Amino acid sequence: MEDLKQIWQSYHQKLEDGLAINKQQTEEISTLKAQSFINSMKSIKIFTIIIGILWVLMVDYIVFHLSVYAFHVSIFFLVSAGIQSLITKIAIGVYVYQMYLIYNVDISHPIIKTQEQITRLQASTLWVTRILFLQLPFWTTFYWGDYVFQNISIFMVQISITAIFTYISVWLFLNIKKENKDKKWFLLIFKGKEWTPLLNAMKTLEQIENFKAEKN
Amino acid sequence: MDYRQWFQDIIEEHKGIFFKIARTYCLDEIDRQDLTQEMMIQVWQALPKYNQSAKISTWLYRIALNVAISFYRKGSTQKSKNVPLDKQVFHIQEEHVPHKEEQINLLEQFIGELKEFDKALIILYLEDKSHAEIAEILGISVTNVSTKVSRIKEHLKLKFSKHSNF
Repeated sequence: MEDLKQIWQSYHQKLEDGLAINKQQTEEISTLKAQSFINSMKSIKIFTIIIGILWVLMVDYIVFHLSVYAFHVSIFFLVSAGIQSLITKIAIGVYVYQMYLIYNVDISHPIIKTQEQITRLQASTLWVTRILFLQLPFWTTFYWGDYVFQNISIFMVQISITAIFTYISVWLFLNIKKENKDKKWFLLIFKGKEWTPLLNAMKTLEQIENFKAEKN
Repeated sequence: MDYRQWFQDIIEEHKGIFFKIARTYCLDEIDRQDLTQEMMIQVWQALPKYNQSAKISTWLYRIALNVAISFYRKGSTQKSKNVPLDKQVFHIQEEHVPHKEEQINLLEQFIGELKEFDKALIILYLEDKSHAEIAEILGISVTNVSTKVSRIKEHLKLKFSKHSNF
């Protein structure tokens, strides 16, 4: 192995001797013209938070005005929209907390500490997904009205749909967790390159746990 | 303090750290250029917080490795088929590219197969860092570093011996 150290060092020394730095690029960096991918992650989160807040404001405005001024509006609409808005607010709260954590990550701290912080942060996105799935049944109740209770067939169909969606949402809330990351249904939900950092973060968390352990 | 000049001096003096880590973590040339640029940006942004409690090389290794490991998680993002020369952070002049012996090829290949944190540890070992410094960069105990270095060395030895048997 000592020989390999020598091979590594002598080869890289030769490479380093011929290594030239592009001063124009490093100057651009020091004038902050270059884009950082870590900063772009922050931008996506800020964008999501803004859209979420606008959505919640709109839903709350509608629910408030209908409940005060529209006497014949269905109670199912008001309750469903109100609960959806509440669940979205909780998800926004998690996102805001993540932003706080992102700003507190110090990239110059020891590798294991920093990576643990970053990967726990990325993996916590699972919480947002779990919470948002709880909205599912309320998308099947907001349009209910007296007509649902006046016809047994319509009532049976509606109640079945809501029951199925309730079961799915509770099941997903309980089962979307790190331990199931290799299951087929999990990979189907989190398919696509936008989920790659989340899936990789969960694998890295496992690696960190193993790496921290002194027995190998 | 002139941070810009300090930044340029640090990059010039320690360019090898970024170059070697980027080569080890990224096989693709375009990704490697992106990774190197990201390392530079993070060094520039963290520079005002550097308080000399750690050696500058220790501090730079932490940033470079943290960025490299996080970059791997993000997945590949090839934006274009090639990076123009004026956009590359590092460039090696053709006449300076050394002949690659089989052993260095194999060593790079075997290191490439290691897990992300083992890769970080073995780079630091091959760079002749002491176990205490490796422990400071990674944030694990010196005993843990010794155990892991022995295990990875054994693993690499086995790989080399298997290869020479074929």
